[in-house]
Amino acid sequence: MDLLSLLGVRVGYHRRPLLPPVDLVVRRGTSLGIVGPNGSGKSTLLRTMLDLLPPVAGSLVYPLGRPPRFGYVPQRAEADRSFPMTALDLVVMGRLRPGRLGPGSVRADRAAARDALARVGLIDHALLPLATLSGGQRQRALLARAIVTEPDVLVLDEPTTGMDLVAERALLDLVEQLRVELDLAIVIVTHHLALVANSVSEVLLVDRERQLVDHGPVDQVVTSERLSALYGMGVVVGELLGRRVVFVDRRKEQRP
Amino acid sequence: MSFWDAYDFWRDAVAGTLIAAAMLGYLGVHVLLRRVVFVGAALTQVSGVGIAASFWLASFLALPDAHQPDHPLWLSPQLFALAFALGAALLFSLVREGRRLSVEAVVGLGWVLASAALLLVLSSGRIVQEAHEVDDLLYGNAVLISPAQVRLLAGVASAVLAVHLLFFRQFMFVSYDAEMARTLGHRTRLIDLALFATLGVGISFAVRVLGALPAFGFLVVPAASALLLVRRAHHAFPLAALFGAAGGALGYYLAFTQNYPTGAAMVAASSLFLLPGALLRLVRRS
Repeated sequence: MDLLSLLGVRVGYHRRPLLPPVDLVVRRGTSLGIVGPNGSGKSTLLRTMLDLLPPVAGSLVYPLGRPPRFGYVPQRAEADRSFPMTALDLVVMGRLRPGRLGPGSVRADRAAARDALARVGLIDHALLPLATLSGGQRQRALLARAIVTEPDVLVLDEPTTGMDLVAERALLDLVEQLRVELDLAIVIVTHHLALVANSVSEVLLVDRERQLVDHGPVDQVVTSERLSALYGMGVVVGELLGRRVVFVDRRKEQRP
Repeated sequence: MSFWDAYDFWRDAVAGTLIAAAMLGYLGVHVLLRRVVFVGAALTQVSGVGIAASFWLASFLALPDAHQPDHPLWLSPQLFALAFALGAALLFSLVREGRRLSVEAVVGLGWVLASAALLLVLSSGRIVQEAHEVDDLLYGNAVLISPAQVRLLAGVASAVLAVHLLFFRQFMFVSYDAEMARTLGHRTRLIDLALFATLGVGISFAVRVLGALPAFGFLVVPAASALLLVRRAHHAFPLAALFGAAGGALGYYLAFTQNYPTGAAMVAASSLFLLPGALLRLVRRS
């Protein structure tokens, strides 16, 4: 089921486009990786998809007749860990619907928040202050807050920044599990191509400096030939223990 | 005369102090969580400009000012103070992090420009004779709170409380993560405006009654004391209101019995509540 279509969308600020036009469809049950280096325009594209920023040109189409509901997991660095609240308080925030005034049904909201924390394996930490959680646990709490909104699309902005390998893998496995169980569309924004090469079904490569936008299934876009041509250097895509690995071939770089 | 024998003298002053201190203590938690401490100082100055402007305008239009019985209602200094404070609150609520000027920078600009404007208006030849009365209105005195001021404060505090009962969860959500709130369809600018408007109204009325030092003290000290003690912001709000009221009452008692300056005694008494939180932090660290 199509949830969101971008038709010739050009993103940017003050009527100045940053990237060439983007055409893509976000479908339920699929996963999309938006990949590009720092400052490449991927966050601007994300803000446009979330309807926080109007497109400079083109249009966003909502096949459901309404914008899809986004469960947004911001970059951890943006989440203020010193704010005095528990993991449960954080997740309950996600239950607040626009226009709902007053205390509302706090008991029902807390029950839903507990369910979400259980899904991400954090129920034992529900009553702990955010400041005492590790980076990975805090990311899971933010993930729980995103899914408690009952989203159509789960959006993760640089979700594994600052995580060790084990926590990174565990988080991506959890996101994949949530995609299957809740029939979600997943959008992951990252600068780390190798990370999403094994985690998503589609990739959108963006690079403002090179005025580059390349979109397609991961096995068509993440290939040695295509990436080498796109980045103008020797990029190798191989397979190790059944997983895709991406690296720059320094030997080719050093050839005269 | 003992403190209790003078009950009729201090009844209204203490009642007004309790209401204002509890309200400012509560609002202070929002201010500290949003990291906009100097919003209080800036709103105080801006509403002062409003008061001075009402006198200046009365003189400019050759109309009776607030000290004359037949002055027009629309020239009321309190109304001008409120309008100016709400205008500044609107401006502060429109500023977002990540822009060229941070919220802190805009608030600082608001404070310094309002302070300069206040001095300029007060030194204007048009209201030089009324400057003393204007000063009384600008910076109230907790010793001399009238029953009418107590009723006004109670009304303002009730209105602020009503808005916060309705929007409390929205205020917390937007203070913590405005971007997420926007993705869910919350009208974050409107929510910010409501929060800053209640700050503007609450602070400007409290300053008129208590004076600038105790009002700013009650905005910061009880909230900081409460936040040092609790693990959940939700618990800090009633605790800060309680600390504010208790600090205000104790400060007034000390000022009365020991002949200390009232505003300074109130702030000093409130700061006693910083100790439990500071000790708790030390114990947790060791």
